Amino acid sequence: MYGGYCPDMETYLFYILATVTVIGTILAITEKHPVHAIVYLVTSFFSLASIFFLLSAPLIAMFEVIIYAGAVMVLFMFVIMMLDLGRADEAKRPPLRQWFLPVILGGIILVSIGVLAAGYVTTPHAPGAITVRDFAVTLFRKYGVAVEIISMQLLFAVVGALYLGRRRP
Amino acid sequence: MIVPLAHVLILAAILFGLGLVCTLVWRSNVIMLLIGIEIMLNAAMLVFVGGSNHWGMADGQVFALIIMAMTSAEVSLALALVVYLHRRKNTVDVDEFRELQD
Amino acid sequence: MKAYLELIILLPLLGAIINALLGGRLLSRRASEWLACAVIWGSFAATLAAAIVYRAPATVEIVSWLSDFDFKASLTLYLDPLSLSLCLMITFVCGLIHLYAVGYMKDDPSSVRFFALLNLFVAAMLMLVLAENLPLLYLGWEGVGFCSYALIGFWHTKPANATAGRKAFIVTRIGDTGLGIAVVWMFELFGTESIPHLNQMGHLLPAGIVTALGLLMLLAAMGKSAQVPLMVWLPDAMAGPTPVSAQIHAATMVTAGVYLLMRMFPLIGVSPTVTAAIAITGALTAFYGATCALVQRDLKRILAYSTISQIGYMMLGVGAGAITAATFHLLVHAFFKALLFLGAGCVITALHHEQDIFRMGGLRRTLPGIFWPFLAGALCLAGVPLTGGFFSKDGILGAVWLKGGALYGGLYVVGLVTAFITAVYTARMVLVVFCGDGIHPLPPGGGGLGRGGLKQLPRIMEWPLIPLAILGLCGGLLNLPEYMGNGLLHLFLLSLGSHEQTLPHSTEILLQGVAAAVAAAGILTAWFRYGGKRRQESLAKEQKPAGGIAAFLLEGWRVDALYDLLLVRPYTRLSTFLWQQLDEGCIDDSLDRMASLFGRCGQWLGGRGQGRVSLSLLGMAAGAALMVFWMVWGMP
Repeated sequence: MYGGYCPDMETYLFYILATVTVIGTILAITEKHPVHAIVYLVTSFFSLASIFFLLSAPLIAMFEVIIYAGAVMVLFMFVIMMLDLGRADEAKRPPLRQWFLPVILGGIILVSIGVLAAGYVTTPHAPGAITVRDFAVTLFRKYGVAVEIISMQLLFAVVGALYLGRRRP
Repeated sequence: MIVPLAHVLILAAILFGLGLVCTLVWRSNVIMLLIGIEIMLNAAMLVFVGGSNHWGMADGQVFALIIMAMTSAEVSLALALVVYLHRRKNTVDVDEFRELQD
Repeated sequence: MKAYLELIILLPLLGAIINALLGGRLLSRRASEWLACAVIWGSFAATLAAAIVYRAPATVEIVSWLSDFDFKASLTLYLDPLSLSLCLMITFVCGLIHLYAVGYMKDDPSSVRFFALLNLFVAAMLMLVLAENLPLLYLGWEGVGFCSYALIGFWHTKPANATAGRKAFIVTRIGDTGLGIAVVWMFELFGTESIPHLNQMGHLLPAGIVTALGLLMLLAAMGKSAQVPLMVWLPDAMAGPTPVSAQIHAATMVTAGVYLLMRMFPLIGVSPTVTAAIAITGALTAFYGATCALVQRDLKRILAYSTISQIGYMMLGVGAGAITAATFHLLVHAFFKALLFLGAGCVITALHHEQDIFRMGGLRRTLPGIFWPFLAGALCLAGVPLTGGFFSKDGILGAVWLKGGALYGGLYVVGLVTAFITAVYTARMVLVVFCGDGIHPLPPGGGGLGRGGLKQLPRIMEWPLIPLAILGLCGGLLNLPEYMGNGLLHLFLLSLGSHEQTLPHSTEILLQGVAAAVAAAGILTAWFRYGGKRRQESLAKEQKPAGGIAAFLLEGWRVDALYDLLLVRPYTRLSTFLWQQLDEGCIDDSLDRMASLFGRCGQWLGGRGQGRVSLSLLGMAAGAALMVFWMVWGMP
């Protein structure tokens, strides 16, 4: 950037984005109002998409924005509004005593994985850039069957959702 | 490589833990529970993308994409279920739905 | 030429589609009737035009349809003398039948469905006749089968009719299987499906394979053309409306089997075994049909059995290698059988749907407009000299005689005996229905006929009989025997390349004399029984329930019962066994037990658990935490 070589710039960006992601997620899960929670989550997903971009996965970053922050979250929002769950007076956070056990369990998992990950040191292997072309070739050549199966699954999901969502007499 | 793989993994672990906590805590609202699942899945995607970047292979990104597709299927079904259950019981409290027990 | 050929098929198809889609909603009833008739006559006009410009066999590819590596079966039509003469007959006779149907169906609420199916029927038959390759022919073949199923069971609210439709479909399907195997096999052998190409290749194969192919096609023809032993569906096919019966019997459907054999004759005729089998089947069927027709009481059933018998004659002709004679008989039979059916339909309608001939009588005076055409048709059927039926039947018998040998000599005798029986039952039918003094021989149970309670018939039902009667009577002109000048049809069909020998004139005249004598003897026999003074006592005798051989014949040699015993009942029993013992008893039961086992396990577990999702989630998370914890710090 700026014509010169600036190796630390992207690294700093990564940590900043990571912080934003974590804070956004924490705010999302502690927010008592579902609509606000979704908005926090969208922020978190946006910064996660940027991280994907930094990790040389531009396509996945794009999909993250379009599908996750876009479609899926809007779907959530839509259902919240349809079921009228977004009223401020009814929203309430779970009581504090409910938080102990989950936080302890989550903490155990987090610390364990963290220790595992910290002790996991490997040298990067052939850090050639992954182009969209590589991605597409891998997707449709190597994992063509997976694409078929996943498209089938989407179809079933559509049918199932239609079946569940139809109005019953 | 801009950061060590370990840092990406730790970030993923944090996100996963937060998602897990969200899932476990929000028993009174099934939608928040589903959001927790989404966060966990994102953490998994982050691991895949980080690994893909680390080894310079596209496979990880492919699986990230497949996770995304699977998630959209899952979310559409799950939300349809939520709508259906809400229509039946007029609540989104997870513990209200316990007919399967008997 | 291409346009004409396309129009021949597309017009009826178009009529069927328009009637099916728009009929009853956008089209008025009258419009859909007119449309149905107009497309058939348009098709007839196109056929005529094609006949006028016809010079040599033409192949017209309309559009590519099936094409895959070596396999090619495009939508190609093939016009040669055989298909042209059949097309002329089909479009003309079906056109008259359509006109008749307008009158016949005028009170029926679902006439749109009727006309759509009737048009489709014609389209399928024309497709079959004009097909250049076997897959296309098979398409028409199955289309004809489907339409006959739908039309025989047209009044499907009555279970008997629906059963008759199903029976026709299932029985003909046995034959269709044979054709399907033959079609695939021929592609395997020759690498082509084009009929003209296939027909030149008969000599290239070992005799055994040609025989097998021929027998498969014979099986197909047996099903479609109601030959022994697959003839059981045709008498029951009377359940459909009368125009349908006329169309099935005269122009479409039953002639399809004979047409298939004629079409493929250059190929399968190479094998003497096949021709002998065809001839034997034909003679047997002719005899079977005639004997059954002898004792039937239902007017339409008499005609149905007579169709079986006459188609048997055609098969006999094909078996004797006389394609011309068989085609000739097919055409003439189409005219007079359509005439007889339409006339019978008029009679039955006029008598308020009375079909028992012994409850009729004396209609000569009350229904003269029907009597005279019907009489003409009956004379053709009985083979009275100088009618079309006489010449055509004689042509076939002459060809059989010419073949000579013990087998064909025996078949000739069978043919003559059948001709005698034919004359007897035809005369019986006419005498019982139309002659007599018109006094009801039975105590009045149904509609009293003597009281003049006849239903008024629409004119449109009567006048199609007249051209048919003329064609039937003068049909002989189409193909006069050689001593009277050359037959038109014979010359026309010569280009097919069949090398048919002809009889010496003296022998031919002798044979015709024999045939005429046989016909006369048959008619006289019937006259002695049902005419004049003896009529009353004979009729009284017929009122008693038939016993002995008459009952045997009345039930069609009890073939239905035999098939029921041999095939249907074991099949039903096997199905019941498989259903109740194997499927329900074994498979379902084991699955049920497995399911109930799982259900009980689940119940047991459910009784122990809390049934709360959050608790389950918490437990899962705790388990995961434990595992990860152990993986990090617990592992050595």
